[in-house]
Amino acid sequence: MGKYVLKRVGLMVLSLFIIISVAFFALRLIPGGPYDDDPDLAPEAQAALIARMNLDKPLPVQYVLFIKGILMENNWGASLKLRPGISAFDIIKERVPATMLLNIMSLLISLPLGILAGTLAALYKSKWPDALISVLVILCISVPSFIFATLLQYFPAYRWELFPLLFNATGNTAARLKSMILPVMALSFGPIATVCRYLRGELIETLSSEYMLLARTKGLKRAQAIARHAFRNSCVPLANIIIPMFTNIMGGSLVVETLFSVPGIGTLIVDSINTRDYTVTMAALLFYSFISVMTILIVDLSYGLIDPRIRLGAKGNE
Amino acid sequence: MSNRVYDLKNLPPEIADIPESRFREVPKADHVMDAEFETVARGFFKDAMFRLSRNKAAVVAFVILIALIFMAIVGPSMSPYSFNQQFTEYTFMPPRVQGLEKIGILDGSYTLKNRALDSLGDSSKYPNDCIISYSNERSVRGTTLVDVKVNYYKYVGCEDKYFWLGTDELGRDQWARLWRGTRVSLIIAFAAVLSDVVIGVVYGAIAGYYGGRLDLIMMRICDIINAFPNVVICTIFILVFGSGMRAMILALIVRGWIPTARMIRSQFLRFRGREYVMAAQTMGVPNRALIFRHILPNSIGPIITRTMIAIPDAIFMESFMAYIGLGLAPPEPSIGTLLSRGQRVLMQYPHLTLFPALTISVLMIAFNLFGNGLRDALDPTQRGLD
Repeated sequence: MGKYVLKRVGLMVLSLFIIISVAFFALRLIPGGPYDDDPDLAPEAQAALIARMNLDKPLPVQYVLFIKGILMENNWGASLKLRPGISAFDIIKERVPATMLLNIMSLLISLPLGILAGTLAALYKSKWPDALISVLVILCISVPSFIFATLLQYFPAYRWELFPLLFNATGNTAARLKSMILPVMALSFGPIATVCRYLRGELIETLSSEYMLLARTKGLKRAQAIARHAFRNSCVPLANIIIPMFTNIMGGSLVVETLFSVPGIGTLIVDSINTRDYTVTMAALLFYSFISVMTILIVDLSYGLIDPRIRLGAKGNE
Repeated sequence: MSNRVYDLKNLPPEIADIPESRFREVPKADHVMDAEFETVARGFFKDAMFRLSRNKAAVVAFVILIALIFMAIVGPSMSPYSFNQQFTEYTFMPPRVQGLEKIGILDGSYTLKNRALDSLGDSSKYPNDCIISYSNERSVRGTTLVDVKVNYYKYVGCEDKYFWLGTDELGRDQWARLWRGTRVSLIIAFAAVLSDVVIGVVYGAIAGYYGGRLDLIMMRICDIINAFPNVVICTIFILVFGSGMRAMILALIVRGWIPTARMIRSQFLRFRGREYVMAAQTMGVPNRALIFRHILPNSIGPIITRTMIAIPDAIFMESFMAYIGLGLAPPEPSIGTLLSRGQRVLMQYPHLTLFPALTISVLMIAFNLFGNGLRDALDPTQRGLD
């Protein structure tokens, strides 16, 4: 197990290193310097700024300095346009809570609803609740979260004036929570459907297993047998999809945040792309990569813990 | 019946010298006991097609897909205006369709908010009898304000024109742009997914066929690339190479081939040791033929399924990039760029968002339904799992 963990960690560190390197060279490859279109900047000031950012040194030296900065000093570069001079790391740090709050709330809502819908569908397999739920599942999985966000913003918020149009970052807790309902809803449709579909499959398989028959034979009522045996066993594999789902919600939240102007990482990425503040873009992307790599690592390790047969190299064998 | 084994070359005389007269023809039985096939034998694909055609949802999805693809091809030329033709004086026109306007939908009407009631009779402000009705009468600081519903085409003076889905902020025909955008999105998705499949099949086949150390290294490379988040790759690609179709397709390929490669590899691990493969190898069939002729055809079902499931993902990713400001460079429309532009004027002109949103939703649902149907048809053991 120790060797397995080491291997996985090594792989993920390597991935992260490659992403950082690609990000570095991409930054340098983007056509035009950071201050090319700034008429207010005197040539001397420009040169000084460029020297301060080490942009005048040869590329390999810049690369080493860049990597060293990230590893040793947590220096991800300074913002160029959005808030010039402020460390990109600090900007990201203050954006993280909003994004995390949104994503965790969405996860907390999707799990029970998804489990409920999945259980209903499995118990009423091939009857009308199952049919209805499977139609809804296809709908929620297919329609992108930004379409849901647009719909929610137009009807409940704009036409019926039930909710605020945009995220309320300054109001009191109640107002803020109310303004979070729509973005969280928009993010949750997909995950609910994913959980529901997965649980339904698992539960149907478990319900037809022999130990369920045994549970009934020894005198448990159907409801008891389902609650004590089938349901529990079907929920364990859910652990496998929850963590990757979190990355997915994060991806979707990039756009949903922008639509509702939630001051999170997503809005930051969009703003920095639009203002061509590439250091912030890259830092935000690296943050995003870090989260995603960590998720994959956690999933791989927990696979190994839950089922020791799945180990490095044995994956994919059927 | 004795079970003695005779040596055919020197049979004992009592067997070798049986006179011909002792041989007797066995009369043909009146009826054969074996059951005769009453149905025509069906091959794998015929069987799969049969199952697919029984799946109502998949058939409907298929018809919708064909219709959408047809519209993506001919739609832009159905409109008298090109996707890039600007009518700067006719911006944000509401939708208006011949025939339908008579029954009151898509009739080119638009509600102007907060207009003074007194000015309604002023024909310089409201020319050509364009007013249909007014509502929501209220008094603000002494003036009576109303919301006026007008025939917008009469209002701006182009009653002879019909923009079926309205026009955008530059006065470009939304109908032409929508179908052109659908075409662009579909092209991006198809190109990316086809490349994914080709790369994935070759890569997975090599890894799975040769196995051992090579397989280990190749799969580790997959693991590393798979850890790159799609959003990050697409953003970097488009920042560096500019927002063209080619950059978008390349960006989608970077990670897209990995699921196919993994799937093909596991298929190869399964079939690599089968007797028929060993037999072919013994007879001197070269590696390439073994891979592509003998083992790969087993995976044709999963490959088709995987392709169908990957297409909506690619369409989604393209729109997603447009939303975060990295869509195709203008004037080329895609569903994503139409949506993100429509979003900016959602409150005033919802029709600019409505039609692209409907199109992408229907497209995604149809692809998903058809993909599920194909999977069930090609691999019946998976049926009913979700």
